[in-house]
Amino acid sequence: MRLSPDQFWTYFEWLFNQYALIQGFLLVVVLAILGFVIGFVVALLKHGPTEGFLQVSKLIRELFVVDIPATSTRRVIAIARLAIKEAIRKKVLVVVAVFVVAIMFAGWYLDPQAQYPARLYISFVLTTTNYMVILLGLFLSCFSLPGDIKSKIIYTIVTKPVRPTEIFLGRVLGFTAVGTLILLLLGTMSYLFVVRGVDHTHEAMEISADGRSGVTTLQQFHTHTFTLDDLGEGKTNETKGHSHVVTKVGDKIVVGPTTGDLEARVPIYGSLRFTGRDGEENTGLNVGYMSEYQKYIEGDSLSSAIWTFKGLNASSFGSELNYDMTISAFRTYKGDIVTPVGGEVIFRSIDGSVESERYPFKVKEFQIDQRSISLMGMKGFRKGEPVSNLDFFKDIAPDGNFEVMIRCKDKSQYLGMAAADLYFRANTLPFWWNFIKGYISIWLQMVIVICFGVMFSTFLSGPVAIIATVSIIVLGFFGFFVDDIVKGTNQGGGPIESLIRIPIQSGSGTELDLGNKTLETSIRIVDKSLLICVQTLSRAIPNFIQLGTADFVAYGVNLFGGLLSRHLTICVGYFLMTGIISYFFLKTREMAA
Amino acid sequence: MATTTAPTTSSVSSTDPTNVIVETRNLGKIYRDFWGRKKVNALKALDIEVRKGEIFGLLGPNGSGKSTTIKLMLGLLFPTSGRAFVFGKDATDVAKNERIGYLPEESYLYKFLNAEETLDFYGRLFDMPASVRRERTEQLIQMVGLQRARRRQLKEYSKGMTRRIGLAQALINEPEFLVLDEPTTGLDPIGTREMKDLILRLRDQGKTILLCSHQLADVQDVCDRVAILHQGELKELGRVDSLLKVQDVTQIHARGLDEKTKQEIKDLIARSNGEMLRMDNPTTTMEELFLDIVRESDQRPGRRGSGA
Ligand SMILES: Nc1ncnc2c1ncn2[C@@H]1O[C@H](COP(=O)(O)OP(=O)(O)OP(=O)(O)O)[C@@H](O)[C@H]1O
Ligand SMILES: [Mg+2]
Repeated sequence: MRLSPDQFWTYFEWLFNQYALIQGFLLVVVLAILGFVIGFVVALLKHGPTEGFLQVSKLIRELFVVDIPATSTRRVIAIARLAIKEAIRKKVLVVVAVFVVAIMFAGWYLDPQAQYPARLYISFVLTTTNYMVILLGLFLSCFSLPGDIKSKIIYTIVTKPVRPTEIFLGRVLGFTAVGTLILLLLGTMSYLFVVRGVDHTHEAMEISADGRSGVTTLQQFHTHTFTLDDLGEGKTNETKGHSHVVTKVGDKIVVGPTTGDLEARVPIYGSLRFTGRDGEENTGLNVGYMSEYQKYIEGDSLSSAIWTFKGLNASSFGSELNYDMTISAFRTYKGDIVTPVGGEVIFRSIDGSVESERYPFKVKEFQIDQRSISLMGMKGFRKGEPVSNLDFFKDIAPDGNFEVMIRCKDKSQYLGMAAADLYFRANTLPFWWNFIKGYISIWLQMVIVICFGVMFSTFLSGPVAIIATVSIIVLGFFGFFVDDIVKGTNQGGGPIESLIRIPIQSGSGTELDLGNKTLETSIRIVDKSLLICVQTLSRAIPNFIQLGTADFVAYGVNLFGGLLSRHLTICVGYFLMTGIISYFFLKTREMAA
Repeated sequence: MATTTAPTTSSVSSTDPTNVIVETRNLGKIYRDFWGRKKVNALKALDIEVRKGEIFGLLGPNGSGKSTTIKLMLGLLFPTSGRAFVFGKDATDVAKNERIGYLPEESYLYKFLNAEETLDFYGRLFDMPASVRRERTEQLIQMVGLQRARRRQLKEYSKGMTRRIGLAQALINEPEFLVLDEPTTGLDPIGTREMKDLILRLRDQGKTILLCSHQLADVQDVCDRVAILHQGELKELGRVDSLLKVQDVTQIHARGLDEKTKQEIKDLIARSNGEMLRMDNPTTTMEELFLDIVRESDQRPGRRGSGA
């Protein structure tokens, strides 16, 4: 699992520094203008310009002045209760039955010899639940309102003092309640499935002559080796993503339950910068053929990757500092393929006055390299003088801030890394809590689907609303294309520039040359603003890939509160957006037509 | 633009605005398809008033635009031309619904709810607290005679039972103004009688009732005033008794005439080869009037001259 830097932004970093708030605000503005224009054009065709304008203004005024204040909790709950009753009487619990069957089949078909069984099981249940709940939300929300309209039951509803806001709120609330109930059931079953699926233990076997080490029996297609210390306590090696605690009780050696497969490591991330071969600041090298996710440093030079960490707390670490690395190598010279490329890690204080010794490492491609250093009695240098009694939190990181530097040792080889490729593991949190957070994430996705489903069902028939909602979900997957265009990574410019290029047959690789700088600049400005509008509008479509967090749970990384709050905020945003759009459709729709 | 209703022979004064519950001005509706093409011109320039405390009947053959008129008044449809006002507010205003009860042409209710749940649900839509809901539900179930079916899901109900629960639903908020779209369809003779008695009782309690029907007997029995629609046009509007007078026939019942005068009248009739039976305006039946209108309007479109 690779985290992208945006995933470990804190909530406020995302909201303010990364312009989420401004982008959200822009979206509101663009949608409002768009909505007003569309509404006005429709009203214009129906009533003429003056009356049309009055109609639209009246509609907007009524939302805020009349309908929102008149919205009654009792009516919203009445509609929600009805949605719940409807769902239950129409037997949505079938979903649970389908899930049970899916889990049973999975029990047979999931590869029991997999490298990381826990990861496989967790991914399976989370993905299955995610799809089922999204489908459930889709069908619940898309068919209900069109059903009422088709059966004309809506006549007896809208001739009561029911506000359009209440119809939307009640339905969203009701379906969310049903979905939540189902999700709770599926979640409990999934949890049991995972915990019981990975749970096993071994017997000690082939104990060595001194009784200090041995091999375990074969269970679930694997064995472990283990060693014991003087006190008769020890651990097995790690196989299939877990190990066992081994203890000597009397004469017997007892192998305990699994550890390390169901956990939630709390990673602490830093920010990354690079220096070039002579120690000058740069942005890291591109080696071209790999993804641009990682940047590279050159071997056997001063070129280094420097992470800055802030606010590490001594209390969240024991006697050791644990850190994980996922560094990759790029070889320009393939002499000895077998020996991995090597590098070294240096810890140093922010002012650079205290440095640790160089900890060498060999690149473990495609694996998490779990490392640790002892916090006390570290060897290193103070103002260039070698010392051997450094205390990490006193000397290197007195206020919890410090730097980590990585260099590549081997000449003509390169090491690649991104900000997320080195992190510290503070304590681990219980797995169940991470699991619940994973489910909250699924829940948020479900709520978004329900909001969109209800919105489309206010003006489309059931099947069409389903198609529309699914299209939105699929479109959301492609949201990043627009981002690329706006960032200008594509060639040939924006829509207007491209249009001009066609008749004058200008290749997209060259600069646009019309012989008039002002014209060219204005074309670019218009293009840019158009693209920003499109980009802003593309945010009206949820990106379910970004909202997916199953990997965090499966790979045992604590799902950050910041990320979850961010998704919650996005969910609330979509709720408001779909609510307002639904309002206008419900308000202007002839229920009996 | 016509701001007052068409002239009527009615004795009720229309000058007091608080007396007018519903007013339509030049109300028209054209049903269009998805592409905006005209399908049906269901209602043409309707001007009527429903006044406080009366039972107003909308009458007309199938497809004449009765339900369309009602839906326009309730804001279920938006007019193509003209406007409808209910309680002095635009028909699309949600707040007016607090004081309205509506029984649709068929009872459009949730089939998976039972009678109690249905009434409780609609009670909640009026933001009624639980105790009031319970009381009203109990009262209404008694009133429409569904005591024994109160816990059965509506999908098991017969047509008449569905009609009854529909009516109960319309009365949940003790409306001042009740709109009934064909209240007696699906009811047996006893049920029909009960429904009519109920309508009269509600009127006596001071409620205003608008009903539409093609059951002429209903209208004759209960309505104070009727409007007769045909193909979306208003044909007749007036008090039931005056509409049923045949204007070109004279019926004379007299007392206290001296022999001379009687003889003169008789002579007069005899001179014109007539035979006097009684002397007054006879009444026709609703059915005859109705058939007349339909027959006539095929030849002569527009409002009939005579009845008004
Ligand atoms: N939703 C609709 N779409 C298109 N045309 C409609 C619609 N509803 C009604 N009409 C048409 O409008 C006309 C008037 O219909 P309306 O339902 O008002 O008649 P009605 O007087 O209530 O008849 P009935 O006595 O049969 O109930 C009819 O020609 C009908 O076909
Ligand atoms: Mg009808």
